[in-house]
Amino acid sequence: MSNAISLTGVTKQFNGTRAVDDLSLSVPAGSIYGFIGPNGSGKTTTLRMIMHILLPDRGEIEVLGSRDTAAARDRVGYLPEERGLYKKMTIRRLLRYYGRLKGASISDIDAASDYWMGRMELPGLLDRQIETLSKGMSQKIQFVAAIIANPALLILNEPFSGLDPVNAHVLKDAVLEMRQRGATVVFSTHDMATAERMCDRIFMIFRGRKVLDGTLESIQSEYGADTVRLRTSQGAAALVDMPDVEAVNDFGQLQEVRLKGDPQAFLARLAARASVYHFEVTRPSLQDIFVRIAKP
Amino acid sequence: MRKALIVAQSEFVTLVKSKAFLVGLILMPVVMGTSIMLVRATKDATDMKDRTFAIVDYTGVVAEPFKAVANLYNSGTPSAMDTVLPRKGARFIPVEIKPSEGNPEELRLDLSNRVRKQELFAFVEVPAEILDPASTTSIRYYSDHPSYNALPQWLRATINAVVLNERFRRASIDRALVVRLTKQAPIDELGLFERGADGEIKAAEEVNAARAYGIPVAVLALMYITIMTSAPQLLNSVIEEKMSRISEVLIGSVTPFELMMGKLLGGAATSIVLCGIYIAGGLIVVQYWGGYASAVTPSILGWFLLYLTLALFIFGSLFVAIGAACNDLKDSQNMMTPVMLLVMIPVFTAGTVLRAPDGTLATVLSLVPTAAPFLMLLRICLQPGPPMWQIVVSVVIMTCTALAVVWAAGKIFRTGLLMQGKSATLGEMVKWVTAK
Repeated sequence: MSNAISLTGVTKQFNGTRAVDDLSLSVPAGSIYGFIGPNGSGKTTTLRMIMHILLPDRGEIEVLGSRDTAAARDRVGYLPEERGLYKKMTIRRLLRYYGRLKGASISDIDAASDYWMGRMELPGLLDRQIETLSKGMSQKIQFVAAIIANPALLILNEPFSGLDPVNAHVLKDAVLEMRQRGATVVFSTHDMATAERMCDRIFMIFRGRKVLDGTLESIQSEYGADTVRLRTSQGAAALVDMPDVEAVNDFGQLQEVRLKGDPQAFLARLAARASVYHFEVTRPSLQDIFVRIAKP
Repeated sequence: MRKALIVAQSEFVTLVKSKAFLVGLILMPVVMGTSIMLVRATKDATDMKDRTFAIVDYTGVVAEPFKAVANLYNSGTPSAMDTVLPRKGARFIPVEIKPSEGNPEELRLDLSNRVRKQELFAFVEVPAEILDPASTTSIRYYSDHPSYNALPQWLRATINAVVLNERFRRASIDRALVVRLTKQAPIDELGLFERGADGEIKAAEEVNAARAYGIPVAVLALMYITIMTSAPQLLNSVIEEKMSRISEVLIGSVTPFELMMGKLLGGAATSIVLCGIYIAGGLIVVQYWGGYASAVTPSILGWFLLYLTLALFIFGSLFVAIGAACNDLKDSQNMMTPVMLLVMIPVFTAGTVLRAPDGTLATVLSLVPTAAPFLMLLRICLQPGPPMWQIVVSVVIMTCTALAVVWAAGKIFRTGLLMQGKSATLGEMVKWVTAK
């Protein structure tokens, strides 16, 4: 499988601080690739370099087979993290403007607009002025603007943030449809559950350096099966002062425990303290792995 | 370039559809037209309030004939005095006060108090020595309305006319004869003779002030208004995109330089359309009022278009760079001031150029790239116009300046556009420009 994006030894500094440090990365074509990492870790800088908005101080970036990332720009759809729309424009004019900047013809843009507006459950609104739209509607229009020219690569920075579950579901389906059409999708997110469910591969950046890169399975197996999900009659109180408990993530009804020792021995000790209703030895969640890496 | 044109088209449509454009298009000519009509309608009837003043005549012979002339003036009867013009506004009513035998200062104080109590508007003293032609004495006018000059001007003309009559009478000279003998011939200001295409000699035309000065000043004003309204609109457009986070979406599709060029082209196109409408309207008006439309030659229009385009690129780039470097409109206002001054200073010096369009100062100022769109254009409009080499030099200097400013603004635009949270300092902008 060829790569839609390749980064080799990319470094970017701002005022002496390395925002991205010697980063190498390959995004296979046709995949959904999740970028995760704490705030300020270098996600947005990396995405902006891929978009040729920022230039790397060192290293090489190849996008859709071209080292001149500007040349590939027309085939890349981009939804930045902080986004806005022209309030006084109609949706139709906005989509035509953004689509033409990507090199699409007006007839193709109009056809795509009709399709995606229906897909986003916003039919018949093309002649509405942007300022009359709700926040959720605006976010969906921003997504449509990013895909209006049918890009081969779609880069989405926090696409689901701020959306209610219904709209998030609509947007998720649209992202999956873009992948089905053959597009490569790269998106950054703070929602680990979304990354787990949607991404073929996950990449984590921390303090400018790559700390995770692979499929969810490979990442989880790297961190072993040291996690237990359990439910007892006493809740988290049953776990107090137990010697083989390294960390507890208390969800109220359920506790996720990272163990230092043997799970069977731990179960025996726990059963002596409380009634155990549920006990599942599992691999750590992406959330847990994220916290292990990023916790100060 | 294709993408820059798409941005330009969008900018053009947005600007032309904006309220500011429509207001500028409709409201400004309406306001100007109404003002002109109001001035014309009210110029002879602005002030009809009577002004009563005291005259203290130390000659003993001026007050009586002066009052007779004032009566004629107030009744609207033409005066025999050739220096006294017909009445246009308020009536001037004299009250004669006989000079006191005591201290004249007491009388002056008394009359001053009457002015303060508004019994009188002013008082005037005619000194005894005034009848002596060798005397250098003055008529003294006292008032607490220093800005009202209609009465002192009228008094100067009228009292002097009476005094001259008295001087001629005492010298036993017939004043009417002197007036006839000393009558000056007027001078007609004419252009030059020329030979027409048909071989016939065409007589010189009379110089018309409206044609000679009115058209150049109007062209200068149009240039100034266009730049002052168009360039800041570019700044607003950039700040709006930056504040509403549209910029990053756009530079995901176009390079910052293409985006900036698109904005400049769109802004320039909008200004040219606006100017075209103003010029067309203006030509109809000047043709209607005086038949001067022929004074606006195609060559003047061509130079106007060239200088306007270059000026919009220079000033537009500066405003675009400021917009990209600032975080909000308030910060941009401070940074705009020096650029605004660059636009205003040439207009302040336009009087010098009007008086001596071929003088050294006018020549030097009109070659300065930020002043050339105003002052060289003004010189082109004033006959006989500057030498062609000066026009060419100014266009070359302006073109080089425009390229340099667009290049520097592009570098500021690229960096500033993504900077959020604080406005850049001048030092930071210089650093962005000089960075590789």
